[in-house]
Amino acid sequence: MSGKSVLKRVDWLTVLFYLLLVTIGWVNIYSSTFSESDSSIFDFGTLHGKQLFFIGASLASIVILLALEANFYERFSSLMYLISMVLLLGLFVFGKTIAGATSWYNLGFFNLQPSELAKVATAMALAKYLSDIQTDIKRRKDQLYAFGIILLPALLIIPQPDPGSALVFFSLSFVIFREGLPLYYLGIALLAILTFVTTLMFGTIWVVIFIALLLVLFFLLKNKKFKVPVFSLSLAVVVTILFSLSVNFVFNNVFEQRHRDRFSLWLRLEKDPGKLEQIRKTIGYNTYQSEKAIESGGFFGKGFLEGTRTKGDFVPEQHTDYIFSTVGEEWGFLGTSTVVVLFTLLLLRLVYLAERQKTDFSRMYGYGVVSILLIHYFINIGMVIGVLPTIGIPLPFFSYGGSGLLFFTILLFIFLKLDANRLKEGI
Amino acid sequence: MAVTEKNILNRLYFVVACLFLFAGAILFKLVNIQMVQGDKYQEMAMQRTEKMFTIAPNRGNLYSDDGSLLATSVSRYTIRFDAVTVKDADFKENVVPLSNALSRMLGQSPSHYQQLLRKARVNKNRYALIARNLDYSEYMAVKEFPLFNKGPYKGGLIIEQKTVREHPLGKIAERSVGYERVDENGYYTRVGLEGAFGEYLRGVEGKRLKQKIAKGQWKPIGWDNIVEPKDGYDVISTIDINIQDIAHHALLGQLEKYQADHGCVIVMETESGEVKAISNLGRTEGGKYYERLNYAVGESHEPGSTFKLMTMVAALEDGVVDTTDVIDTHDGTWKIYNHRVRDSKWGGYGKISFAKAFEVSSNTAFAQVIHNGYKENPDKFVNRLMSMNVHRELDLPIKGEGKPVLRSPGDKGWSGLSLAQMAYGYEVSMTPLQTLTFYNAIANDGEMVKPRLIKEVREWDRTVQKFDKEVIDNSICSQETASKVRDLLKNVVEKDYGTGHKLYSRNFSMAGKTGTAQKNYVSKDPDKLKYISTFAGYFPAENPKYSCIVVIHEPDKGVGYYGADVSGPVFKSIAQKVYASNPLIDEVEMEEVEDDRLENNYQKYYAEAQKEYRKVPNVKGMSGMDAISILENLGLEVEVKGNGKVRKQSVSHGTDIQKAKKITLELS
Repeated sequence: MSGKSVLKRVDWLTVLFYLLLVTIGWVNIYSSTFSESDSSIFDFGTLHGKQLFFIGASLASIVILLALEANFYERFSSLMYLISMVLLLGLFVFGKTIAGATSWYNLGFFNLQPSELAKVATAMALAKYLSDIQTDIKRRKDQLYAFGIILLPALLIIPQPDPGSALVFFSLSFVIFREGLPLYYLGIALLAILTFVTTLMFGTIWVVIFIALLLVLFFLLKNKKFKVPVFSLSLAVVVTILFSLSVNFVFNNVFEQRHRDRFSLWLRLEKDPGKLEQIRKTIGYNTYQSEKAIESGGFFGKGFLEGTRTKGDFVPEQHTDYIFSTVGEEWGFLGTSTVVVLFTLLLLRLVYLAERQKTDFSRMYGYGVVSILLIHYFINIGMVIGVLPTIGIPLPFFSYGGSGLLFFTILLFIFLKLDANRLKEGI
Repeated sequence: MAVTEKNILNRLYFVVACLFLFAGAILFKLVNIQMVQGDKYQEMAMQRTEKMFTIAPNRGNLYSDDGSLLATSVSRYTIRFDAVTVKDADFKENVVPLSNALSRMLGQSPSHYQQLLRKARVNKNRYALIARNLDYSEYMAVKEFPLFNKGPYKGGLIIEQKTVREHPLGKIAERSVGYERVDENGYYTRVGLEGAFGEYLRGVEGKRLKQKIAKGQWKPIGWDNIVEPKDGYDVISTIDINIQDIAHHALLGQLEKYQADHGCVIVMETESGEVKAISNLGRTEGGKYYERLNYAVGESHEPGSTFKLMTMVAALEDGVVDTTDVIDTHDGTWKIYNHRVRDSKWGGYGKISFAKAFEVSSNTAFAQVIHNGYKENPDKFVNRLMSMNVHRELDLPIKGEGKPVLRSPGDKGWSGLSLAQMAYGYEVSMTPLQTLTFYNAIANDGEMVKPRLIKEVREWDRTVQKFDKEVIDNSICSQETASKVRDLLKNVVEKDYGTGHKLYSRNFSMAGKTGTAQKNYVSKDPDKLKYISTFAGYFPAENPKYSCIVVIHEPDKGVGYYGADVSGPVFKSIAQKVYASNPLIDEVEMEEVEDDRLENNYQKYYAEAQKEYRKVPNVKGMSGMDAISILENLGLEVEVKGNGKVRKQSVSHGTDIQKAKKITLELS
């Protein structure tokens, strides 16, 4: 298998989306970290200069990734998973703390974030496990095992603390779902989220009343032929009510004030507009500022390097998690919608690619890639524009951050390599 | 491990649907914030991040005619103390020396300041007031005090600067100097000279776009101001501070003596119309007098007897009467319809000339002459007055000029009595300045000039605009009439029967007319009857230089109310002081004495002095002084015997200078 043939078979459309996103991302990082005194865009002392270096490094890694044997990834996925878990454990001893989170290894020139590596490794390990001929996802034991693969890194990451990254791993349950996880898991998950939100918004009493109404409705409409699963239904009701009660307990006793405030802000739990505004300007300061920056961009934006809020550093962490607000301010709705459409097209393309895979591993890994990118994309933009509470995860290919960009590239291009190899594999 | 095809397909659709849902939700929100609310927020964001700042220009100075400052802008500083930001050690170490330093400067005891500082510290007061209205040098000193010299953060020193308008003359002419204020709606309150010349003094506000860089911190955008601020011009007014000072104090003294309600004085330069002094004093509840309202310009009232001058001039011009005509004042009353005109002298003056009627201010004589002279054609009288601009406003730059009232036959309020009443100054109304303008015109041989308060507008030493004399009317009456009435005005003071004779002084001359107008005469209640005492005139009586009017309202009737008693003395002391400080000196011009011989001598000397000599010149016949000068300039030592012209020189001419060291001249 020659390099040339790989170049022919690689999915260039995806590569194009990738390059576009990385380029647009860098332009915006340049804008948000630019200062008049910067001499050159290649000055590695500046943040945009560093990012440029990592773009180069990522492009170099693509060459290596495409050159490697395709089945190398499947074969070594367990090992990589193991290594990444060890690295996560090692953080408890050797980790470097940045902004309150012990999530990095200091490698001198740059800081390695092993949770990024773990995302790739976990996606591969999950695909490997699920695609194993021995595994049957209908079996409770295998389901638990699969969830275990996801939960292990998440549990190791939560104490860093980096709940955002931990959340990313849960998105991989999407893969399990795609591969035939019984539907009621989805039902339980949705019910849990619904209960959580309604409890916070309306209180346990209303949740109980709501459930009671649903039950009444259910029995009124019930089909005589349909056998009511009285036991499981009542179990579900009891569990839901208990869950609802525990939500209150957890919210008031386990959560810290800043978490409570984030939810207060998100769900508008605080009814006093004065206090709400206060929260918006303190706890929700980042979101508040980024929302204002995006709003100020209007339809056409203020133009490259013209964003007053970007230049004035109104939005904290703008070059990392809040990079989307730079797009909003300087490029306006045209810019933001372009980015959203690009991401959506990329994800759709990846879903399409995943579906056309000949091997289970490749398909499942493909879905893993989609899940990870999707959750980043959705939560990050949701946070920046204020529809979701503040959860600090970066925008893939966009946000400033060396290991982030490198591992997203690795994540994506392993899949492109697998895809390029699909026909060969099939023979 | 694959699942059934159909199931897979459904789940695939589900995945894709989720994707679209997410993308759709995000786009929806983006549309909402960037396009729907966008415009509104964009503006808000602009306001919050960029703001137009105005840069206040410096207001120009207001000067008197000789360049003394009447009003200027100075910086004043308020010192406050942030008691929280200071470190404990610093505070403990410095609180005593700081209190001592403050005490030395501001006068209160050191313990007062110590208590103040310590209390602020205990109460965590971050804005404790230490002192207000410090001037620049005091502010510089405070900055060097112990603790305060550590600056705003370590030393807790808070400085607030403001610009205030200072009047170096204080209460004198305060109202006339006035002020100009602008409220937040841009509405101006304009008072006095400051208000009148605000457009020159004000300058132009600058504009600067600034960007917010942090809370409360604004960074200028770009290099240049959007609009450069332009400082106001300086205004040189016509006010003479010496005369102003005299006028102010003379008026104040008289108001206090007569416990009057209010009064005003105006002094005007006859020829140019320049107002040299304008003082307005009104009584406050406490019985003190302050510059309150601009009565001189704003208060139009019935002038009373001072109006007899206008009547007189009109009647003489129309030939209705002459000064020598004899009028019967009867027994001091003259009945017209049901109204009785009275003279102030009980029993009247008998048969007197019209001139004397003016000098003694006989109401009956004036009422009769005007009524009888014009009753067939009252319009003529009114038109004559109008032709003398008695009815016209002066159109001053100072806001709020009172309107004169002059009725014509047929107007509301005109009656058969009107002519008689107007004759001695009722049923007409004028402001003191309008009356003065008329008197000034008489003093100025009939040329009516507009009173003027501004001389020049300057920007540093460059003249922006000069204001010249403005003539309202070249000639309001004939020279003859003017001259006639000037004699009468002089007699008012000079003749021992004149109403103003009390004011007569042998040392200087003045001319004028008294007026004692009744106020509230409609009321039958004698307690409500009040007087307005006026004296209007000019000085010196010949070649008048200044005209002046003094009006005092509502003097205490118990003390006196006649114009000559109440207002006259103010006029007199102004005239006296002006004489004393501006003595009129006859200047004798030096004549050039031409003497041919002297001229020739000089020419000769000059010619000799210009030549360059190597040899001793012939100086015989030259004046000794010239010869010495020439020879000494050549480096010779000169010895002189006698005086006069050179008869003999010891070294003959043509000798080399180098050889001749010394020369003796014999003069005769």
